[in-house]
Amino acid sequence: MSQAFLLVGSPKGTKSSSRVLGGYLMSKLAAGGMAVGEMSVGRALHSEEEMGRLLAEVEAAEIIVVAFPLYVDQLPAPLVGALETIAEKRTAATERGSEAEARPRQKILAIVNCGFPESFQNEPAVATMRQFAKQAGFHWAGGLALGMGGAVSAKPLEKLGGRVRNVVKALDLTAEALLRDADVPDEAKELMAKPLIPKRLYYVFANLGWKRQARKHGVHGQLRARPYA
Amino acid sequence: MNVLILDGGSGNGRGGACRKLKEAALSEVRARGWNAAAFDLDKMNIKPCRGCFACWVKHPGVCAIQDDEADILKATVAADIRLMLTPVTFGGYGSALKKALDRSIPILLPFFIRVGGEVHHPQRYDGTRKILAVGTLPQPDPEAERIFHHLVCRNALNMASLQTETRIFYEEAGEEEARQVIREILPAAEVVP
Repeated sequence: MSQAFLLVGSPKGTKSSSRVLGGYLMSKLAAGGMAVGEMSVGRALHSEEEMGRLLAEVEAAEIIVVAFPLYVDQLPAPLVGALETIAEKRTAATERGSEAEARPRQKILAIVNCGFPESFQNEPAVATMRQFAKQAGFHWAGGLALGMGGAVSAKPLEKLGGRVRNVVKALDLTAEALLRDADVPDEAKELMAKPLIPKRLYYVFANLGWKRQARKHGVHGQLRARPYA
Repeated sequence: MNVLILDGGSGNGRGGACRKLKEAALSEVRARGWNAAAFDLDKMNIKPCRGCFACWVKHPGVCAIQDDEADILKATVAADIRLMLTPVTFGGYGSALKKALDRSIPILLPFFIRVGGEVHHPQRYDGTRKILAVGTLPQPDPEAERIFHHLVCRNALNMASLQTETRIFYEEAGEEEARQVIREILPAAEVVP
């Protein structure tokens, strides 16, 4: 069982920017001497056995990191489903009394990324994670919210150069804090919220990127198609 | 007037309140002579969004996954009003409603536009729409209610809603209270651009 456990909430699992961000933080915790583990939500929902493993890891961990992309202003549906199951199990244990009394303080934190340039668009999702922590009996250690997630595009942070320097610093500061049993520092939240590149540039690149991808698939002229009109 | 009703009541015991609201909505909508399309999301075959964006860049407007969500998308495009019913789950939507919403991105365009100083996606289809949402809770929870109202307003911005209404319905309340909540929010439908 792990001391620090990463739950990857992206449907893309290990090939996601969420995994890159969460994985980097876990590597720093591992370097600080913590036993770390991880699982994607997709895998947990694959079978009852895997869900059982997720529940056991969550019960055993001192620190739980939930990393996910913003889907329609919120957590992706499979992650909501997994959190519903975790909260249900923990609430039932609290009602029984014994397990909950024996449970040590467990920290939970969130790393949210969205494709919009403004990191504040993640706010409802961070608030939802905070509410989940309260309802499921975790100590809320804070949320790191990143805009322009498309600029990370599931590549290792080490290969992205200077544009992710604030992201790296935010995760480094968070790891240092967690290793001394503190919560996510405000400075880390502020650094993570900074734009990776100028907003106008991101806007132009993103719009060009969609057109380029459509051209690659031979549908450039149909991008505005209305099949259900 | 076409009304889409998305019943996100889950099968975990909290679905009863959403059912009451759905029945009340159907009755009130029909009494006004409007059309209603209601979906019990928990009973439908809706797979999770894969985040592949094929609906934007491979076959624009059509999801790569072929399942019951296609019927919801067709009804969504035709709807003047979208009414979402859900157990408030950690302040947000329950997983049944969220699954359907995650799969709704084919009705958006991939491009970025500025709306009120922020960046959002434009709508793929013309027309105006109103977003109405009722969240259910077992008992008052000011923080969960605040998050829910804020979330619906953020969604409404992304869905270019002309008029938005949100309410909280306590799960012990009866059918008359459900009818009252629906009567409070339906006048939003009459708002014109």
